[in-house]
Amino acid sequence: MEAEFEKSKNPEEDERPIEVARRAPEVSEDVNSGAADSFSHPPRDVIIYSAQSSIRNPVQLIRDIFTDFWLGRGLAWRLFLRNIRGLYRQTLLGLFWAFLPPIANTAIWIFLRQANVFSMGDTQVDGTVYILTGMILWQAFIDAFQMPLAMLNKNRNMISKLNFPREALLLVGIGEVVFDLLIRLLLLIPAFLIFQVPVHTSILFAPIAILGLVLLGAALGLLLMPIGSLYQDVGRFISMVLPFWMIITPIIYVPLTSFPGSLLNWVNPASPLLLLARDWLLLGTTSHFTTGLIFGAAAIPMLLIALVVYRISIPVLIERMTA
Amino acid sequence: MNLSRSSSSDLILDVDQVWKVYCRNLKRAMWYGLKDVGREMIGGGRDRNHHNLRAGEFFAVRDASFQIRRGECLAMIGPNGAGKSTMLKMINGLIKPDSGLIQISGKIGALIELGTGFNPILSGRENIYINAAVLGMPKREVDGLMETIVEFAELGHVINDPIKTYSSGMRVRLGFSIAANLRPELLLMDEVLAVGDVGFRMKCFAHLNELVKQGVSIVLVTHAVGMLQRVATRSVVFGEGKIVHDGDLETGCTIYEEMLGASDRVRAKQKEESGRDGEIGSVEVCNEAMEPQAEFETGETVRLRIQINARAKIKDARLIVALCSPVHGVLNSVSTPYQGIQFDVDPPGRVITLEFPKIPFLIGAYHFNISLFGPEKVDFYHRSSLRGVFRIVGPSTDANGYGINGITKLQHSWKIDG
Repeated sequence: MEAEFEKSKNPEEDERPIEVARRAPEVSEDVNSGAADSFSHPPRDVIIYSAQSSIRNPVQLIRDIFTDFWLGRGLAWRLFLRNIRGLYRQTLLGLFWAFLPPIANTAIWIFLRQANVFSMGDTQVDGTVYILTGMILWQAFIDAFQMPLAMLNKNRNMISKLNFPREALLLVGIGEVVFDLLIRLLLLIPAFLIFQVPVHTSILFAPIAILGLVLLGAALGLLLMPIGSLYQDVGRFISMVLPFWMIITPIIYVPLTSFPGSLLNWVNPASPLLLLARDWLLLGTTSHFTTGLIFGAAAIPMLLIALVVYRISIPVLIERMTA
Repeated sequence: MNLSRSSSSDLILDVDQVWKVYCRNLKRAMWYGLKDVGREMIGGGRDRNHHNLRAGEFFAVRDASFQIRRGECLAMIGPNGAGKSTMLKMINGLIKPDSGLIQISGKIGALIELGTGFNPILSGRENIYINAAVLGMPKREVDGLMETIVEFAELGHVINDPIKTYSSGMRVRLGFSIAANLRPELLLMDEVLAVGDVGFRMKCFAHLNELVKQGVSIVLVTHAVGMLQRVATRSVVFGEGKIVHDGDLETGCTIYEEMLGASDRVRAKQKEESGRDGEIGSVEVCNEAMEPQAEFETGETVRLRIQINARAKIKDARLIVALCSPVHGVLNSVSTPYQGIQFDVDPPGRVITLEFPKIPFLIGAYHFNISLFGPEKVDFYHRSSLRGVFRIVGPSTDANGYGINGITKLQHSWKIDG
């Protein structure tokens, strides 16, 4: 074995000037001789793959991430259309499947409340609309949270065999979460009419809070994706805690205001933005603006870090997919 | 125009001292994976080409360096697990090298697997858009190429039907057509030529040749060495992660065939038993002058000198010699009774020489399997495989239809009517 290692090399060599970069744009004229259908490629940057961590050049890394989001938009749109079309082409009930989970959940909780199993507190609007709204928002958060791992698993084959902007998959994932969310939000229209909920101008701000909620969920999911992909324990753990997580999120009851229950609103990342979004949708006033703002602001750097984790972990995960 | 040897600006791919570490133990691989992600997040590179292998790790690729220029078609060959596909994945940017550098100046079109990303419910046309998008081509460019792609795949009549109604051959055709018509500068193909019917395969070869002429570089990974001569001009042979040959295709193929034989030889040795009355001793391949020789040209005389050892007298011995190719198996088998040769073997043994005048085989590696019998079928003494390895190294063959090709040179004549 020893002899094979003798040809060790100086890590500095990685930094030496790249002669390939001076590739002249003479491709087409050179090969044109006789060929009827020759290729003409514009000169391109040199792609370099090395062992070095891309995080050493963070500015470039962030720029690459956004470039790939941009480059991947076409693919993302195609895949999004493919999934949506594929999803509903082979179902009898079609879009109804998007409506079903929040309706079923709401129905159960309303039934339990009617049976006085628990008390919701003063919801200020009709309890059904209150729970339904909460359920729709919660579903969006959880969908976004589970999206990265689901996208990775669903597209394993493609990821491990083709090189394409990985960020495209996230665009698809977010697109699907938002698509489902928008469809479910349609449920609120009949709900508002039936239960005579007044419409406040604050409803115009709600999309911001909802977007923050979805992005926060996606960021958390992205951070968990590498470990979740390597160890299936993570997936099992998540599906186990989800019901509890839902219970400690104020969906079927008004948020607790007295200590120590109020602590939940601070430690549960799903709470603040969900409450803010719901207040803006239903009430017109909110007491969760500050916490919502803090969590919304925190979501942005978190998402950036999560995107870096995503980008760095994909090649490592591919090695394990095929090994 | 000599595309393969021009200025350095023609360099499309430069692989420089690349190492790749894998781990076979699943639990460890997962844990290392997590650590690798963590290390990279804090800026630590991998650079692990030296003594710092972790437990359970091995080198899938060691210190590989090669270059590809514009218009070159390179075949990466080697036994299973030699590191070819790993190398291809690194070139394609799917996984990172653990040490070394890979530089590419051009648009890569990869065919790691045909039809990856096809959705069975959608039509062929819709899938073309998706596949093209995966390979980085915007819709309006695909529109311009749509007819070419559909026509090449010969699927015009079903292009609007769902993919799930296609036969597997049709899917392969569609996949190849998409990737090959998207105008890459570097085309990577992993074992994709082994599929599809012969007619379409020929069409693919013709198309690849056309691409090469237009300046596209191609890297082919395949086990079907026999087909390589149709397109490849150069070969890189991998053995246990290392490049053992980088140069002309014929030598590469021969080395590869010998490697296949070598692994069989190890197995054969393990099976060998001792304690028999007669056995095949030393075996030597010689030329006409009975000098040992390993390389021949088609049409030369090959002599096989077989030493038979005996502890007891073998009456009416029979010798069966099969001439084999690691790729094609037994090409021919001859026996002493066929030509009415009768002989006994007295201790300690004797030498038998078998002559093949004007050996008709074309470029490749060959060997013999030799069996020693007594007069009856049940009188089996010894079978010795993979003996007398020799190579036919010339004259070169031509798969493009201007010479002869295959494994043997047949006597033949043409007659043009009219």
